[in-house]
Amino acid sequence: MSVTPMNKNAPLIEVRNLDLHFGAFHALKNVSVSFDSGQLIGLVGDNGAGKTTLIKVLSGIHKPNSGEVYFAGKRVKEFHPKLAIKFGIETIQQSVGLCDNLSIARNFYLGREPVKRWFGIPFLDFKKMRDASTKVIRTFGLRENVSADDQVEMLSGGERQSIKIGRAVEFKNRVVIMDEPTNHLSVREREHVNELAQQLRDQGLLVIYITHDIHQVHKLADRIVIMENGEKVTDVAKDEMTADELEEVIRCGGRVVDTSKEVEPS
Amino acid sequence: MMGSSVRQLVRQHSEIGILLIAILLVAFFSFSSFDKWANAYNLASIAQITATLGLLALGASLVMGTGEIDISVGSTFGIGALVYLGTVATIGPIPAMLLAATAGAGIGLLNGFLVTRFGISSLMLTLSTLLVFRGVAVALTEGFSFSVPYDQRSGFLYQLFGGGDFLGVNTAFWWLLLGLIVLMAFLYATPGGNRLLAVGGSVGTAHSRGIRVNRVKLRAFILCGILAALAGTLEGGKLGFADGGMGRLMELQAIAACVLGGCALLGGRVSLFGVVIGAFVLSSIQSFLVVNGVQPQWFMLLLGVIVVVAAISDRALRDWALRSR
Repeated sequence: MSVTPMNKNAPLIEVRNLDLHFGAFHALKNVSVSFDSGQLIGLVGDNGAGKTTLIKVLSGIHKPNSGEVYFAGKRVKEFHPKLAIKFGIETIQQSVGLCDNLSIARNFYLGREPVKRWFGIPFLDFKKMRDASTKVIRTFGLRENVSADDQVEMLSGGERQSIKIGRAVEFKNRVVIMDEPTNHLSVREREHVNELAQQLRDQGLLVIYITHDIHQVHKLADRIVIMENGEKVTDVAKDEMTADELEEVIRCGGRVVDTSKEVEPS
Repeated sequence: MMGSSVRQLVRQHSEIGILLIAILLVAFFSFSSFDKWANAYNLASIAQITATLGLLALGASLVMGTGEIDISVGSTFGIGALVYLGTVATIGPIPAMLLAATAGAGIGLLNGFLVTRFGISSLMLTLSTLLVFRGVAVALTEGFSFSVPYDQRSGFLYQLFGGGDFLGVNTAFWWLLLGLIVLMAFLYATPGGNRLLAVGGSVGTAHSRGIRVNRVKLRAFILCGILAALAGTLEGGKLGFADGGMGRLMELQAIAACVLGGCALLGGRVSLFGVVIGAFVLSSIQSFLVVNGVQPQWFMLLLGVIVVVAAISDRALRDWALRSR
């Protein structure tokens, strides 16, 4: 028996034959897919297609019933958001990520607060928390009068997304998963978020961008993965199909043969 | 400009409402009952009641901060008093106090474990443990009371835990001050406090940031149990005796003090300072009724009314503070 060695050439994230049930609901059916660094992946599908479930497995929120997950060639055995964060996987979700009742600075470092020890007792390093979040507030174009000590409940939808993305950048992550990042945003805010997604990819990160909107993501992505009813149905490089063709695939329930590679026998 | 800065203040300090009420009440009580209320003896007695109720409510507010509720604190208070009084004569005050705190921690652990492990509603579960431990308290005393012989009530260590005064006020008051400072440091200036408030604000967010939500809740329940038992110890130490009914209905006063003090019942917002002021307001009203010869049952009625009014006005004040930006 030998432990799987760290493999430089292995994909950053690889999942094999992933299966997940919620009671009678079969959310993921034998999903296998791999993602490399420096790519922006468009993960597309209708509601209930399994795309959010898949990324919840990758971010440690759900544990799969069967199947394997590899991170940088290493088998992942335990699933908890704490471990995903440790690996450098940051998930930006629409509904969660910021606590309304806390200040921006407190939210920014939630779960990995910087501390200064006095007599061995860890106290929050308020200066560091404030400085880092103020930097993000200024870089990411929030209103002038917003300060790091303001409660998150004061922010607009776009400002919230900016804080979450800014946090993902600040912590030097390797993977940023964005779940419907532009929902409820104004046109200008949407463009801003999309630019940020591309910047992250250009910095060598793996970006998984989840959306309904194939036209929007086709402009950004290097590769498009389509899911339907818990299965991966299409996995193509951006140049292989146009946005209209892909839209047709989604409309027809996704029953099109995977053109990117041969299906490996299991 | 003036209005917006007041709004900002109210938004960030939920205890402002209760502070205003406290100031108005003190003024009203002092003028309406002359020196019957505002004299050194009565104020010292209010300080003692505030101290035990305050410690109890501080613990309850931490659990409330995580979005759960602990209404078993009244029985934990009673158990704390009985354990202390039942053992202090044989093993001495410090071991007896530690034993009482351990019993409180045990009750908190049981509450927290059952709530987090089985996902039971904490309201229902702690209502059950309230009854269970009240039953235990009555069974322990077999209908009689535990008391400490008079000749053992004069030692320094006995006086340290509620059995005597320091600078004219019962020692319980100084324990409350110490507890308030320590808990404020924990809640507002440590990662543990930040996470506790995050769990109460949004469980989903806390979980997604890698916080072990159940562990945070479990710790809050344990801390709450310890504080309730210590409050019981201090009250038991002061009275020198306790029966199985010790602390009955204190759970309602503790929760009332939390809500009055500006804590959100659904979690995420805790004002420890406000909770202590809330306990002070309740103790002051109780004392006002007593010195004016009003029957004690009116206090329960008034308590109920006050909590409803406090909840409504707190909501109104918050809404006003959040309205225009």
